Amino acid sequence: MQPILTVNHLTKRFGGLVAVDDVSFDLFEGEILGLIGPNGAGKTTMVSLISGTISPSTGKVLFQGAPIAHLPAFRRSRLGIGRTFQLMKPFPGLNVLDNVAVGALFGTGGGKRHLEEAREDAAHWLGFVGLGHRERQRADELGGPDRKRLELAKALAMNPRLLLLDEVMAGLHHGEIDEVVCVIRKVQNRGITVLLIEHVMKAIQSLSDRVLVLHHGTKIAEGTADAVLSDPQVVDAYLGTRRV
Amino acid sequence: MRRVGSIVFVAVVLALLLLPWLATPALIQFGTTTLLLATLAQSWNIIGGYAGYASFGNSVFYGIGGYGTAIAMVQFGLPFGIGILLGAVLAMFFALLLGLPVLRLRGHYFAIATLALAEAMTGIVSNLDIAGRNIGLVLPLRKGDAFFYELSLGLLALATLTVFWISRSRFGFGLIAIREDEDAAGVMGVNTTLYKALAFLLAGFFSALAGGIHAYWITFIDPVSAFDITLNVMMIIMAIFGGAGTIFGPLVGAVLLSSISEVLATEITGMASLFFGLVIVVAVVFMPRGLADLLRRLPGLGWRYFRENLWLHRL
Amino acid sequence: MSLFLQIIVNGILLGGLYSLMALGLALVWGVLNIVNLSHGAFIMLGAYASYYFFTLLHLDPFAALPLCMLTVFALGFLLQRYVLNLIVRGPMFNTLLITFGIDVVLTYLAQIVFSADFRVVNPSYAGANFTMFGATLPLVRALAFAMAIALTLAVWLILGHTRIGRAVRACAQNLVAARLYGVEPRTVYALTFGMGAALAGAAGDLYGVVSQINPYIGDPLTAKSFAISIIGGLENPLGVVVGGLFLGILESLTSLYVGSTYTDVASFGVLVLVLITRPKGLLGRTT
Repeated sequence: MQPILTVNHLTKRFGGLVAVDDVSFDLFEGEILGLIGPNGAGKTTMVSLISGTISPSTGKVLFQGAPIAHLPAFRRSRLGIGRTFQLMKPFPGLNVLDNVAVGALFGTGGGKRHLEEAREDAAHWLGFVGLGHRERQRADELGGPDRKRLELAKALAMNPRLLLLDEVMAGLHHGEIDEVVCVIRKVQNRGITVLLIEHVMKAIQSLSDRVLVLHHGTKIAEGTADAVLSDPQVVDAYLGTRRV
Repeated sequence: MRRVGSIVFVAVVLALLLLPWLATPALIQFGTTTLLLATLAQSWNIIGGYAGYASFGNSVFYGIGGYGTAIAMVQFGLPFGIGILLGAVLAMFFALLLGLPVLRLRGHYFAIATLALAEAMTGIVSNLDIAGRNIGLVLPLRKGDAFFYELSLGLLALATLTVFWISRSRFGFGLIAIREDEDAAGVMGVNTTLYKALAFLLAGFFSALAGGIHAYWITFIDPVSAFDITLNVMMIIMAIFGGAGTIFGPLVGAVLLSSISEVLATEITGMASLFFGLVIVVAVVFMPRGLADLLRRLPGLGWRYFRENLWLHRL
Repeated sequence: MSLFLQIIVNGILLGGLYSLMALGLALVWGVLNIVNLSHGAFIMLGAYASYYFFTLLHLDPFAALPLCMLTVFALGFLLQRYVLNLIVRGPMFNTLLITFGIDVVLTYLAQIVFSADFRVVNPSYAGANFTMFGATLPLVRALAFAMAIALTLAVWLILGHTRIGRAVRACAQNLVAARLYGVEPRTVYALTFGMGAALAGAAGDLYGVVSQINPYIGDPLTAKSFAISIIGGLENPLGVVVGGLFLGILESLTSLYVGSTYTDVASFGVLVLVLITRPKGLLGRTT
């Protein structure tokens, strides 16, 4: 079966710094791929390359078989790629519902045409992530965990086929992490493919079908969560030896 | 409560429509000027208030609209209706031509680029023979202040209706998203380049029509007055003072500031400039979000409203 | 050939004055992130200051330079300390608006106090020329050029090598950290803006010697200073010098080969081009 996303020898240089170095991998429809690695490994850059925020120095990105490396971000969104930002950026002047409605209005296939429909969609997705009770609040008044939920709802409202999640669990405590894991599972159950950047290992382990490890911009391991997490290279570069 | 509001609204609209038959010539002229200023403020509102791109270049389109009308009527003998349409088409052409490169700039670079364009226009036009060089052109006379008044009223209504539509449409949402966070908007599927260009076009369209009406009304146009930067800033102040990004904010701002300026001008000559200058300074310090925001939050906060604004922005 | 040389020399002399004009604006913009639309008004006030020092106290304009600078410095300092400091942390657009308002007020007050009549500062050596490399240099313009370059170097030295300069740069880079190190931003900001104003005042003083003074000379000069700052680039202190010289020479050439009415078109045309192709200016890095 054709993978939904193919990254082929992707490289990104910022002046003298090589942020992503000749990385290739496939992502299959319906799976959750975990992307891990130490800070500065190039994970967010990778996501930005896929979502279109930046363009590659060399290499190809294929979405549903078609090359997208030189498409602007908004076109990729129309094709069905959604992402969350690590540094959460809600639209400050809009309330929570309208923030999500933007996603519904402009998402896959061009989104909805009418404000009413979009707001209904938005309400649905807010309920899905557990923010239904905060519809009318100003987006910039939300606290940390709620902001993450909002980011997620905004991306989901776009009706993506591929969802790129950039550290949605950073800064959350155990209970909150479990809730987000639950939501992501629900997302997968809807047939959405997920690329998950995380430092929270238990989430990676419980969610990921496969895991990819980046270090200094290169792929150093790829496989199931168990295989990758016990790979000595990965342990050296990122995990550290476990203290018994 | 809503019934009362609707009745008041209808009464106001009727009063505005019938003004030329109820008021003195001086008042009608003041009204026409204010209506045109309000249209300019409203057109700025589209690109500056909704899309968040503070343009200092609306006076460019105002001038092009005026010159298009003047050239069509004076050099080619065309009627006013055709002339003003030509002016508008010309302005939109330039809005696209200049807009696309300039809209790639962000923040104050965009503002300055548009300011530079406005400055350059004066120089360019004063070298064109067809535009009458620095002497300008004299347009044919058409008597009847009522005509220009009603025309301006109609234009303002059209502009306001457009803003009303924007505020409830997918396009408007896209513009607001661009204003709030352009990168996020792009990632969420908004075609930011197209939308910004459209907003710029719309703003240019209404500014050009206002310029055309004004030129015909005062039967005269010259480079300095057509591309006057002060006009630019006045429309921005009016939009912001009243509330940028709202439907009626620019109208309220235009009417209020024009009226106060007019009253002061009769008391002290030349006072208008000083007044505007002071208003700008005071408004930016104490009510940077405009009258709309003030009216909404003052009842709840009282004097603390002003202190809050200071607190947010002071060093 | 010698006509061409003369044009270039004229352009360079003009460019020196332009650089000084733009220096104050670029300083305040680059360091405080304040876009001062009333910059031209300070130039205008500096010119009037030198005019009154000349006519009332018979002070030579070059001798009066420090006095003009001090006068305008005081105005700038107070304005920043008690008005502009109130909005500095707000959206950048607000500084554009408020400085425009200040510009309007200052211009209006100048009109009331000084009247709209044209004034000239005519020192006894006003018409003197000397020749160098086959080109004729008007003495006043050459002196103005020399002064301009000297002041630019002085600013560069102050910013780079004195305590005040370090404090200013610290504030520009990181306000919070600067505070932690004992720098009082309100005063530093006021000092910096005052410096920018003083430089504008100096430019005004020199301007009054080579051109006519009236309350309205401010706005076109503000626009020009912008063009110069952007063309040269704000990141490099030499940017204004490059920008000023570039514009001076461009205007001189345009005046001869295209027509004197096209100089503004040329300047702003170049500005728009630069903004579109190299927004960081001729000396800016392209990353």
